Amino acid sequence: MDIIELSWWQLSIGFLILIIPAAILWWYKTGLNKQLAIATLRMTLQLLFVGYYLEYLFDYDSAWVNTAWIMIMVVVADFATIDRSNLNKTWSLILPIFGATFFGIILINLFFLELVIQLPTFLEAQYAIPITGMVLGNCLRSNVIGINDFYYNLKDNKERYQFFLACGATRNEALHPFFRQALQKSANPTLASMATIGLVSLPGMMTGQILSGSSPMTAIQYQIMIMLAIFSGTILSVFLAILFSNRFVFFETDMIDPAIFKE
Amino acid sequence: MTISIKSLEFSHGDEQIFRDYSLEIESGKHTVLQGDSGSGKSTLIKLILGFLQPDDGEISLNGKPMDTRAFRELRQKTAWLPQDLNMGENSVRDVIYFPFLFKQNTVSKPSESTVLDTFEQLGLHNEVLDKEFSDLSTGQRQRVGITLCALLDRPLLLLDEPTSALDRSSKEKAAELLLGKPSKTIVSVTHDPFWIKKADKVIEL
Repeated sequence: MDIIELSWWQLSIGFLILIIPAAILWWYKTGLNKQLAIATLRMTLQLLFVGYYLEYLFDYDSAWVNTAWIMIMVVVADFATIDRSNLNKTWSLILPIFGATFFGIILINLFFLELVIQLPTFLEAQYAIPITGMVLGNCLRSNVIGINDFYYNLKDNKERYQFFLACGATRNEALHPFFRQALQKSANPTLASMATIGLVSLPGMMTGQILSGSSPMTAIQYQIMIMLAIFSGTILSVFLAILFSNRFVFFETDMIDPAIFKE
Repeated sequence: MTISIKSLEFSHGDEQIFRDYSLEIESGKHTVLQGDSGSGKSTLIKLILGFLQPDDGEISLNGKPMDTRAFRELRQKTAWLPQDLNMGENSVRDVIYFPFLFKQNTVSKPSESTVLDTFEQLGLHNEVLDKEFSDLSTGQRQRVGITLCALLDRPLLLLDEPTSALDRSSKEKAAELLLGKPSKTIVSVTHDPFWIKKADKVIEL
């Protein structure tokens, strides 16, 4: 199967479809058209930039450069996680969440890329960068849900945590119910999408592979693998992010440092 | 277990709650703290447990100034009944048994019949054990908290308004359960004349 190349001219025609949602948003005076324009511009420029650097990364294809690039992606995800979790960017959160996400993503990469796919070259860019991007994007979403739930649940139910401590719990024992709830909340969206995949939606990666000429069965094999990677990566990164950050955000008295909260 | 507070200074925001405040809680006695709302009674309990840090002053346990380790040790010898026990979406069974999953408490995990006996003493029906904690009335929640304090059987009891939602007969049963053992050191925050009569010492804040 040959792929139909998309020209810049054809792509620019594609933008015309935005007239319909823009008109609907304008008619109902939602005030969202400025945001729509900015978001469209950002999406286009960011993806063009990604296209150029991916071509460079694929040509260069060095495990070191690829690892460095993964680190940059993790740093961006780290700051975005803290910010969207409504927490302050303190070192007590930046470093542990970076460590958790980086460790989680590297472990998932090594397992799937080196053990399952068995890449001919270590961390080959064509596989490592897009798969890391997909797993990391999902880790970011789950981390935001899990970390926000864990810390704000703890803040809102401080007396329950204190009650457990006063019943003789160690800090980890007293945090256990908060940890459990954060894991449940962060796992739910991925579990729901795993349970309905193929029925409700055809995932983007699989669609992309089919469009670029892969057989549907190959695309499905990769999609199953990526779903396993996403689920494992998200749970691992949420677990490690809470575990690592817990070492730094509590005072010796087992009370949480209020400086981490924005509200 | 004697707790001494010397020259305590504590403020919350702009409000100074304790200024050069000293107090002694004697071992094996029942001390009642009373005072107006906002006078710092519940705050004092949280300071003793190390949940709040004084701006200045010293809290000592058996004559030794308390550090982080001592606060942790004290919590392992304490049963604390907060004013309004909020345990979220959990069954009463979970609320009662969860503290007995803590390493320190596993050996003293009570049997179901012990829990139900204590319930009976406090006038709670057996079915309460499998109800959602948040569905209980304030008085029932208070009695579940008292059950837990009794089952933990700790040498130090810190009780914050333990009888505010109880009727006379439940108060008497709660007093039997919590105040019946002479070896315990008990600190109660209360306005209840019934409970105040049971005190060895009353301190006005």
